[in-house]
Amino acid sequence: MALPIQEILTGLSLGSRYFLVAIGLSLIFGVLGVLNFAHGALYMIGAYVSLTVVQNATGNFWVGLIAAGLAVGAVGAIIEMGLIRRVYDRDELDQLILTFALVLIISDLTRTVWGSGNQTMATPELLASNVQFLGTSYPAYRLFVIVVGFAAMGVFWYAIQRTYLGRLVRATSSDRDMAALLGVNVPRLYTGVFFAGSFLAGIGGALAAPMQAFTPALGDQVIINAFIIVVIGGLGSFTGAFVGAMFIGLLQSFGVLVASGVGQLLPFLAMILVLIFRPEGLFGGEEQ
Amino acid sequence: MSNETILGLPARRTAIVAFALLVVAPFVLPTFQTYVLSEVLVLALFATAFNLLYGYTGLLSFGHAMFYGGAGYALGIFLRDVAPSLPFGGATPLVAFVVAAVLGVLVATAIAIPVGYLSVRLEEIYFAMLTLSFSMALYTLVNQNYFGVTNGSDGILVLLNTANLFGFTLSLYDRVTYYFVILLVVAPAMYILWRVANSPFGLVSEAIRENSERASGLGIDVRRHQWAAFVLSAVFTGIAGVLVAPLHSSLSPGASLHWSISAEPVIMTVFGGPYSFIGPTVGALFYRYIRWGITQFPMLEAHWQLVFGALILVIVVFAPRGVSGLLKWAVKRVRGDGGEST
Repeated sequence: MALPIQEILTGLSLGSRYFLVAIGLSLIFGVLGVLNFAHGALYMIGAYVSLTVVQNATGNFWVGLIAAGLAVGAVGAIIEMGLIRRVYDRDELDQLILTFALVLIISDLTRTVWGSGNQTMATPELLASNVQFLGTSYPAYRLFVIVVGFAAMGVFWYAIQRTYLGRLVRATSSDRDMAALLGVNVPRLYTGVFFAGSFLAGIGGALAAPMQAFTPALGDQVIINAFIIVVIGGLGSFTGAFVGAMFIGLLQSFGVLVASGVGQLLPFLAMILVLIFRPEGLFGGEEQ
Repeated sequence: MSNETILGLPARRTAIVAFALLVVAPFVLPTFQTYVLSEVLVLALFATAFNLLYGYTGLLSFGHAMFYGGAGYALGIFLRDVAPSLPFGGATPLVAFVVAAVLGVLVATAIAIPVGYLSVRLEEIYFAMLTLSFSMALYTLVNQNYFGVTNGSDGILVLLNTANLFGFTLSLYDRVTYYFVILLVVAPAMYILWRVANSPFGLVSEAIRENSERASGLGIDVRRHQWAAFVLSAVFTGIAGVLVAPLHSSLSPGASLHWSISAEPVIMTVFGGPYSFIGPTVGALFYRYIRWGITQFPMLEAHWQLVFGALILVIVVFAPRGVSGLLKWAVKRVRGDGGEST
């Protein structure tokens, strides 16, 4: 029985990383109506910022994690204020192309600053060991990532459903003009939402950094998975982003057992099936 | 129909002049420039075929690489595995190329019929996502070499040979010769697309783009029409795909089927301007020559993605109708001023 538990844990830790990207993508789409192609690139910056802060400045993983979140959040806020704001009223295609152009620019800048080679980062000492868990030995760091993923979902759910700010966000996403009439500072809220989504992407990237070697192509790999997840879960649905992320994580980790490479094919097949039979996504239309 | 125009110029005359220039070009240009122009022709067809679906019908496909690369792969595999055993003597290389090209276009069509049927039931971003997932599924299948004939991520070589026709030799791999092959296919294909865009079919497409509910109220079967436009767009994309594979002499999942290839006609169309027939062609011209221009400066070449991305930003933010919108405006301006001064 050791094997399935290993696969489940691997799937959940993959899913937790995916969730942190997908939730930001979904939040920005749900509130601003923009499908941000550059979201994967923001995640990638998170990995690099954390690498630099840990290796060259502080040596402290936790400082790196927060720094990555804040730095990427700031980049997101600047992008929203400087560029995205200009195309809210335009075609979806214009928005998609604009964020695609940002992908090119961000990848190039990343290559210029950090080089195009493989980067690796050590696991923080506190979590470098294996733990005995349900009769199997598993890396503590991966368990930690799972905890962060579930905790992020909890905090996020609470913030959106139970706080005043969450109500403002929900109100603005369902009727922007009405919210503006009621005195909500919509431009500032939009910038704030973009900051929050980017912050989570930055944290996600920083968390992923010790788990695999990465290059400036990291963003391209991540964005497609994030698209799959938010489409399966339902664009703009937070529960959907969580369930979708865990589902894709598990699908990829179990896919390896079926045949090599199937793990890469299954997510696309899942996306096709969901779009054909339930285009609004598994949890689409349930929340505002 | 004398009032048809391209960039504000009379359409027929402009097209004839452009074709004449394209025929003369390889005799004037260096071989490398002929090669670049070959690419421009193929990309123009790719983008125009894409725009039949996007600009005219209002459906943003983010998976057109599936037809472009799919047709190319069918051609490449046929040339590699079947062509050497064909019994046509000296004419074999030419016959093989023609048969492989037809086969490639048929494969693109065969993919488009079911994929289009399923995709057009969705709208806007969901349509884009479904086309993206179909094309990425094909990318993964080819990349993992599930069919056993695609050679995985290494891709395959696409080589044309010299045909002997009654003592007359035709080196298909020769840059100039192949340029004329491309021109001979692209020019009529563009003419057909022009006729389609300016036919009742094209008008119905535009009606659907502007207001599909009203179009439906007028008795148009919207889904069926969108499906037809989808398949038609895929057929011409397939033609571009079978032309480009021998031009590049190679196919690989990353350079033929990846979503970033699907992004190319989208970028070219936005560059050129989506709501005109000639927009994507202007876009293809700009797209290719900007990239070539960038390679001329080592400083820019090292950062071509940055330069390119910045350019896209500027065009999207400041010129929503693309370069062809600007050109049209400029032509009007020049002609208008001329009219006033006399």
